[in-house]
Amino acid sequence: MQQKLKKNYKKLKFRWEYFLVLLLIVEVVIFGTLNPRFLKPQVLFGSVNDFISICIIATFMCFVFITGGIDLQAGSIVGLTSIIIGVMWKYVGVNIYLACLIAIIIGCLCGALSGFFIGFTGVQPMVVTLGGSFLYSGLAIAVSNISKTAAYLGISGFPEHFTAFTKKRFFGVVPAQFLIFLALVVIAYIILHRTKYGRKVFLCGINQNAAGFTGINTKLIIMSTYIFSGMAASITGIIMTSYLGSSKSDFGGDLTMPIITAVVLGGTSTLGGKGGVVGSALAAIVIGIMRFGLSMNGMPNQYLDIPVGIMLVIVVAGSCISKNQKISALLHHYINIKN
Amino acid sequence: MDFMKKMTKRREFSSIIFLFALYAIVGIVNPAFLKLDNIMLCLNGATVYTICAIGMALVIFTGEIDASIGATLGLSAAVAASMIRDGSSSILALLIAICIGLVIGSINGFGVAVLKIPSIIMTIGVNGIVRGISYVYTGGAWVENVPRHFKEVSQMGMFGLSWFYIGTIVIMILIHFYVTKKRHGRYFQAVGDNEDGAIHIGIPVTATKMISFILCAVCASVASVIFVSRIGFVTPTSGNGYEMKAIAACVIGGISLSGGIGNMIGATFGALIMASISRILVFLGLSSNYDNTITGILLITIVVIDAVIQKCNIEKARRERLAAKTAAVVECELEGGNKTCNRN
Amino acid sequence: MKKVFALTLTVAMALTTLVGCGSSGSKTAGDTATKDTAAKGSKINVTFIPKVTGNAFFESANKGAQKYAEKWGFKVDYEGDASASAAAQVAVINKAVQQGTNAICLSSVDAAGVKDALKAAAAAGVTVTTWDSDVDPSVRKVMVSQGTPKQLGEMLVKMSYDSLKERGKDPNKDAIKYCWHYSNASVTDQNSWRVEGEKYIKEKYPNWKNVAPDNYYSNQDAEQAISVGESVLSAHSDIDLVICNDSTALPGQCQAAQNKGKKAKDITITGFASPNSMKQYCKDGILTRWGLWDCGVQGAMGCYMAYYIAAGNKVKVGDKINIPDIGTVEVMPNSVLNPSANVSDSSSGVVLLPERTIFTKDNMNNFDF
Repeated sequence: MQQKLKKNYKKLKFRWEYFLVLLLIVEVVIFGTLNPRFLKPQVLFGSVNDFISICIIATFMCFVFITGGIDLQAGSIVGLTSIIIGVMWKYVGVNIYLACLIAIIIGCLCGALSGFFIGFTGVQPMVVTLGGSFLYSGLAIAVSNISKTAAYLGISGFPEHFTAFTKKRFFGVVPAQFLIFLALVVIAYIILHRTKYGRKVFLCGINQNAAGFTGINTKLIIMSTYIFSGMAASITGIIMTSYLGSSKSDFGGDLTMPIITAVVLGGTSTLGGKGGVVGSALAAIVIGIMRFGLSMNGMPNQYLDIPVGIMLVIVVAGSCISKNQKISALLHHYINIKN
Repeated sequence: MDFMKKMTKRREFSSIIFLFALYAIVGIVNPAFLKLDNIMLCLNGATVYTICAIGMALVIFTGEIDASIGATLGLSAAVAASMIRDGSSSILALLIAICIGLVIGSINGFGVAVLKIPSIIMTIGVNGIVRGISYVYTGGAWVENVPRHFKEVSQMGMFGLSWFYIGTIVIMILIHFYVTKKRHGRYFQAVGDNEDGAIHIGIPVTATKMISFILCAVCASVASVIFVSRIGFVTPTSGNGYEMKAIAACVIGGISLSGGIGNMIGATFGALIMASISRILVFLGLSSNYDNTITGILLITIVVIDAVIQKCNIEKARRERLAAKTAAVVECELEGGNKTCNRN
Repeated sequence: MKKVFALTLTVAMALTTLVGCGSSGSKTAGDTATKDTAAKGSKINVTFIPKVTGNAFFESANKGAQKYAEKWGFKVDYEGDASASAAAQVAVINKAVQQGTNAICLSSVDAAGVKDALKAAAAAGVTVTTWDSDVDPSVRKVMVSQGTPKQLGEMLVKMSYDSLKERGKDPNKDAIKYCWHYSNASVTDQNSWRVEGEKYIKEKYPNWKNVAPDNYYSNQDAEQAISVGESVLSAHSDIDLVICNDSTALPGQCQAAQNKGKKAKDITITGFASPNSMKQYCKDGILTRWGLWDCGVQGAMGCYMAYYIAAGNKVKVGDKINIPDIGTVEVMPNSVLNPSANVSDSSSGVVLLPERTIFTKDNMNNFDF
């Protein structure tokens, strides 16, 4: 019995997610001390609205990273979704919720296109999704041109009930968007860590050939991860359109790098096979709160990339060093000599 | 015939054919495109992209990627431009820019080669940091009013082709020879092709990767000085997205992102294609709105076709090997009870 | 199991923060109230939010605002994001409100996108004024405008007319070939000037021919501006006029002309850009005139109106307000900018910049921005 407890304790000892939670608590404490306004629940939870897009997409993009791929087109799909909702609602006259559904389907199709090429023809994911990002952002502009709204006017005037749900705050404090995010995290967690499909995703990432030999349809699995990523991007597009009350083709253009940063910081390895939903979600929140806290304390927006970049490099360097036997042996040796 | 077959097998062949076909099609639609001075403008305009693609190709050969050249270009351009504007000599500005490239490249190389951080992450982090530093340096303002004598250097040339582009081609050919013929040069592709194998035969993998990142950043710095000369002003967002364009140029030119395959000539043609797209749209009378769409379709099409062809080739080679093995076995059996088989 | 544990830990931590700060919640409400009355005594804080940072136009506006604000006795905080995105601007607005600013002076990226954030700001007691790029009049008090789109569109055409005449063409009779080259199809103000300019041309100069009705875009990218510029000059070798109403496209187009060896006598290029970026091209004879307005003064005026209203003064349509060192301005109804605007709220109005400036060889050295 004692042996079993000891084993469990050892397992509990160092998990990446705990480190992220610790980081989050440290951030809140530091920024709260420097600027008490930061700790106001209205403010703290309200800040989530600004980086919720990164959180939602990062939660599902870790599926893609676990299979060893990368997805650079999520940002463009956000813009495409937004303009499709606007055009469908205003010019085709569809009910706004039906327009959202159509937009999600189109987001999944976009992901499926790239996923198909990556899974079935073995192309490099980075290049196809790079091409996809150009393609979909161009399509978004084309859609807004076809609709005869000049792209600069954007589409607005959405019905009250559509724009209200992202602005609601439960208990007067917690934004509805945060709850949507939590629900999505739970769903993603269940899909990835509690179903057979999730196991298959991991196996494809660890060794695609071996997984293929065990009878897993790796091509389909890889394609499906990109579909999830596209779906997450369209959900983000819907939320953004609702929150801003306006539909423009260039939403989400600057999201790609922050999302990749969040997924990587969340413990997902770019080589595939490792990672988790909770880690990505936590990392996205950590980065978002750090940016918010720093800007609340007076750092101009354009310098915010420096601390995030430094944090990313240090954290990943630290994790790589600890895994690298040569360097840890060197450190041990050095420390032993000191003693 | 043999020569033709060998030519078509080369990876950059498809990009060369594509380039010529593209130019021919645009020329048919609008003959003004094929005028000599316009072609020269296209070539000169591709100078910055070409140098970036050359640097990126070196990194991709080793199987890594460098997402920070955009920020390196921006910082070096800002520093060089402000130095030249304030009266320093161009040579000094070039040297300082190269030093900046050296530092950034070393940091990248150290992280990737020594600490074994995945290159995409290291370079994304460094990209953010360097971009922030360039904002601090410029204070968010433009660097403008670069003296005319410096800008004019980009216009000087031979037959309309600027010295910068001619110099770039010369350097590209030299690097190509180094990478394909010289022993130390071939280490780059060896490391990308099979890293463990390279370690086992004694190739200094860490040093090779380090050098590739340093060279890539230095290329970005040199490109930045040419950028200043061609454009004449530097904005805080100069260089944004150049890393993606460089990667796209390399891929279009037949370089594989997994390393070890491809060469510089392909990268040069790829860069030329990327740089020509926005010009082509003007000549075709298409709205510039479709710039991104066309780049995207182009990239996806070329890459998918290339991958499909590769797969077919691998499948064909596998079948040939299988046929060879079974043929020998069949021959063996026909010989009768004799254990000696003729394996040709 | 352990991951669920980590998840619950995060949520628990978040909720404890909430509970722990619940008590301070009521304190901060009182805090805001005392802040408002204290504002009259202590220095008023105006947050100056541009569309995007790192752009010469907005940086000059900030310089002007800072210079005048020092004289006028209030503080201007320059806050913005390096990406011209509506979501980022909403984040900046929210942050400014949460930090307790007294007033916001904003140039919006997307009028519809920031509407709700500004409504929330007004509800929190923050005065909102706009400049350069307006929002819905119901969520701001005063807009300091550089001119109606009609005035600016006509200005572009008039500058073109004068330059064409100067080099010997007859704009009234000749078939002038022209095109528009600016940033992209999504930027509100540049597109509205083009629309008005086109209307003016159709009306007064039907002999002019637009060779590119879909326009040329260079997305505020200097390299692209030059390559598009060069291609335009090559593809339309007989083009007479290129109108560049974007501060990156104009220097790019001029550099392209210089690369091709063309000068003002071969091709007319004009548009809007800051004087500093164009001085060299004017000296080299690539173009003869271009325009802008004193964005430093415009930014300063926007901040002053924000400070004026935040300090407790009431403003209504028809008022004449004296801005020290600048002059007297009149508050006009919103219909001046948009004929279909709702003019029922008299506390919401427009202040027009008295003049725009056309820069030429003779006066360009008087300006440094």
